[in-house]
Amino acid sequence: MDKELKDFAAKNKQNLGLVSLDVPLISNLNVWVNIALIKQYHQNLPDDKAELLVLQYLRVYGLEHIANKQTSALTNKERFFAMLIRAAMVMDSIIVIDRPFKIIPDVPDDRFIYNALNIIYDSFKECHIFDYTWFKDRYRMIYVEKG
Amino acid sequence: MSGKKDIRMIDIIERIGKTSINATRSFRDTLSFAFTIILKMFSKNSYSSATRMVLINQIYFTSVQILPLFIGISIILGSLLIGIVFQIIKTLGLAEYLGRILMGLVVTELSPFVTVLLIALRSSSAINAEIAVMKVNNELNTLDKFNIDVIDYLFLPRVINGVISVVLLSALFSILTLTSGLLFSKLMFGMSLDTYSNVLLNSANFYDIVISLVKCCTFGFFITLIPIRFGLHATNDLTSIPIAVLNGMVDVFIAIVLIEVLSLILSFI
Repeated sequence: MDKELKDFAAKNKQNLGLVSLDVPLISNLNVWVNIALIKQYHQNLPDDKAELLVLQYLRVYGLEHIANKQTSALTNKERFFAMLIRAAMVMDSIIVIDRPFKIIPDVPDDRFIYNALNIIYDSFKECHIFDYTWFKDRYRMIYVEKG
Repeated sequence: MSGKKDIRMIDIIERIGKTSINATRSFRDTLSFAFTIILKMFSKNSYSSATRMVLINQIYFTSVQILPLFIGISIILGSLLIGIVFQIIKTLGLAEYLGRILMGLVVTELSPFVTVLLIALRSSSAINAEIAVMKVNNELNTLDKFNIDVIDYLFLPRVINGVISVVLLSALFSILTLTSGLLFSKLMFGMSLDTYSNVLLNSANFYDIVISLVKCCTFGFFITLIPIRFGLHATNDLTSIPIAVLNGMVDVFIAIVLIEVLSLILSFI
């Protein structure tokens, strides 16, 4: 699985929005800066506009209150949402979720992931989930259909 | 017996050779890293909104947060040093050289040195630990995966902040020390404010200020660059963090001494 993920990531390097525990949030930045960083760096978006954009995204998940939290203070679900929004910040994002149940071990199946993706479906181009085959029973969907 | 002695001798020579090679390699790598950073510094593409935000935060952490402590230390240490210098000047009857001694000693020598020591103690160690922790936590990999250049985003703002902070705080140290000199000049030589200011202004030399500025910039550059480089030496083990910080800080102090000596040699040429 690691090789497949690496190959896929290498092929889509420019638009890759990775959600993975191997690509953690940066610990000395709070949540909004972690997310805004992508737009600020790649599109030179001023920090006030970037902050507003991040707050909009957090609001749709009802997570506005975590904007100024340090990453160590986040719950598993909050961390997953922060990583997902960060991935969606990449232009024409191809979101890749690497072993989601490692990030949110307390979630029984993929409904949580599906709902999370559905809320921001217009912010990314594609989404791919990579996971171990022995977890396939936890997945109902094969792919996320957009729109 | 003689064979054993020979082996021990060879062992010592080998160790000296190895240490010298390692030191030379480390010096070469630091210079090469410095060159990369300087190139990036003058490239327009290196600056984004994210880089500017990091730079502002770094200046705040290094130059603004330290202000109460720095002002306190500058006043106490500056007054003490100025008191000693004035006492020596009075004892040796060098009052006519007062301005020259103050400008040469305080502005070009003491201010950059004391400032760089304080910033190295506080910020260099913090930068070293921060980069090492980011390396251990795989956070540098995060930046790479999101196509963010670590030099542009992480290293460049810290190095620029080092240069700006040392220059500004050194100027502040000079101002505070020279101001405390006013009190001593009044007490020891009965000088008025006007006379003291005139003595200082007449002794102010453009060359001294340039040397001081270049020295501050060099200090600021290397006391942030070296900790970054050593922070990157950390491995995936948490135990590598203190080793990276320790090695980095030793090299920072060696660099401070080297720059100080080089600037002294240059000022004599």
